[in-house]
Amino acid sequence: MSDNPVDVVDPVLTAPDTRGATSPFARAIFLVGAAAVILVLLGTVAVQIDWAMNGGPVTQSCIDQGIIPYSPETDAGPASGNKGAEGVCHIVEGLTSPAQAAVLIGAFLLGLAAVIAGWSTYRSMDTRRKRDHAVTGAVLGLQAVVLSVVLWVFVQATPEKFVSQFLNIQALKADGSALIRGIKYTLLLAFGGEIGGIVIGLVLSILVISKRRAVRAPATVYINIFRGTPLIVQLSIGYFGVNLGLGLHLGVFTVAVVVLALNMGAYSAEVFRAGIQSIDRGQMEAARSVGMTYLQAMRFAIVPQAIRRVIPPLLNEFVILIKDTSLVVVLGLPLDQLDLFGAAQQGYSDTFSATYFVAVSVGYLIITLPMIWIVNQVERRLRSGLVSITGGGA
Amino acid sequence: MGNPDGSIVRLEGVHKWFGDNHVLRGIDFALNEGDVQVVIGPSGGGKSTLLRCVNLLELPTRGRVWFDGEDITDVRANLNEVRTHIGMVFQSFNLFPHKTALQNITLPLEKVLGLKRDEAESRARDQLTRVKLDHKTDAYPGSLSGGQQQRVAIARALAMRPRMMLFDEVTSALDPELVGEVLQVMKDLAAEGMTMMVVTHEMGFAREVGTEMVFMDGGVVVEAGDPREVFANPQSERLQLFFSEVL
Repeated sequence: MSDNPVDVVDPVLTAPDTRGATSPFARAIFLVGAAAVILVLLGTVAVQIDWAMNGGPVTQSCIDQGIIPYSPETDAGPASGNKGAEGVCHIVEGLTSPAQAAVLIGAFLLGLAAVIAGWSTYRSMDTRRKRDHAVTGAVLGLQAVVLSVVLWVFVQATPEKFVSQFLNIQALKADGSALIRGIKYTLLLAFGGEIGGIVIGLVLSILVISKRRAVRAPATVYINIFRGTPLIVQLSIGYFGVNLGLGLHLGVFTVAVVVLALNMGAYSAEVFRAGIQSIDRGQMEAARSVGMTYLQAMRFAIVPQAIRRVIPPLLNEFVILIKDTSLVVVLGLPLDQLDLFGAAQQGYSDTFSATYFVAVSVGYLIITLPMIWIVNQVERRLRSGLVSITGGGA
Repeated sequence: MGNPDGSIVRLEGVHKWFGDNHVLRGIDFALNEGDVQVVIGPSGGGKSTLLRCVNLLELPTRGRVWFDGEDITDVRANLNEVRTHIGMVFQSFNLFPHKTALQNITLPLEKVLGLKRDEAESRARDQLTRVKLDHKTDAYPGSLSGGQQQRVAIARALAMRPRMMLFDEVTSALDPELVGEVLQVMKDLAAEGMTMMVVTHEMGFAREVGTEMVFMDGGVVVEAGDPREVFANPQSERLQLFFSEVL
């Protein structure tokens, strides 16, 4: 019976596309703008790769700029020059090469063309898709113009100083492996602080929403003190004050984790409190009406729902905590337990190359970017209801 | 003290203030085993507050509430124990959204009554069958209709095997076509002899199922009596006005 074509209703699977057709001209604006951005980014990278692969020894112009090849100590005289001079020279030569200039000028002109064409015509475009192409092309063109101008100004100034300070890869060889270990200890500090902080925060949040002032007061005082004073001060008091003063003889690392947890506890208490108070009053009433005690209602009905709601803000706090672990540097972690920033600090004082701070920034990003990505995913899912906070699953 | 009159619930001079708002202004009544008391009246008249004073979700500012011969307004009363004997169903269902229909029912059975899991589950299944939702055992509240959610809520309360049930405008949040299925469950329950106190706007249900009717307005009981008589013969002007508006 269902073979009868009359019974078959043609399903509309997706909303119809009503943005209209584009035109070759509108599409050209978009492509020119995109090409300009791609040129300035990939062109610069390509020039750099070429110099890195085929650059050869330090050039005379580099030596003139003070980038001297390193020669170790010999009988003839003491060590001279800069370690990593080749790498620095390649970057500088690449930046100041005619090829780079051609890339920048080309990207600037392409970008400008896209901006002018897009900006002057988008209003008269008669379909939405044409307009989108024109506007997007103009925006991309503008980005290419700005990027090429900024790079041009940088290249015209004194790139050799910047590069030898911040981009001397060779300098990382001295203490580079410490950076890798630093990631491990930064993560240990962050996870230790986070786990302890969540436990402390949950307990505090339950106390802080009590209707009895005597219960609320100590928790409020705690939260205000830890939220109202700088973490760097708390770390100092915790180690130099409490630990040494009371003769506890705890290691720097242990004290750091404890203080981070105490600090995180205050912040996550506020997050949990907001989450718990966002749960409908009826949930508590329903739980109490079947005879649960207040704490049972909290544990089985309220808190499980609140935790789902506070996951995004809690992860945000965690990202902040990851970065705040760098403050532990004031306590001076032992050399074999240095966190990321501690390792960078050490590398800098060994080599006087700020490249360590660039490298350590990358190290933090390696940890935080996935966290930020997770936060965004969770928030999007919660908002779209794919995974409802009811726990129903997708 | 006991309950010399054999009542299951008795209220004596109950007053409730919310700040300066005097919501209940002296309520006295008693409910006997098997009574189905329907409470009607305009919004803001204190009906829901009265109901919530019976299981002490709201603490009366003044007056006493007796349950099964025990003064439960005494600070020494074990309210958690008392509440296991008084089931309550809410206007907004208040199912636990992170638990399935079955888990909503077994949670208090296990945590409050201390039943073993399989015992709790078999009791829960019996109640879900009674409200004709045995096919929705593992559904989360979010995937159930309002009427189905409310029937799960009733099952959750009944699974505790309470001595009496409180219904607080349980059909007010439902789409009209879903009201019937919930009222049917309540009718069946009344027919089985459950003691019930029902705040409702469903006048048909009140007349048909109620054994006792209370009309509340302005925080006092304006009129009370046999539902059929009250409907046929409203004495007070306020009740006549109320009927002319809702019927």
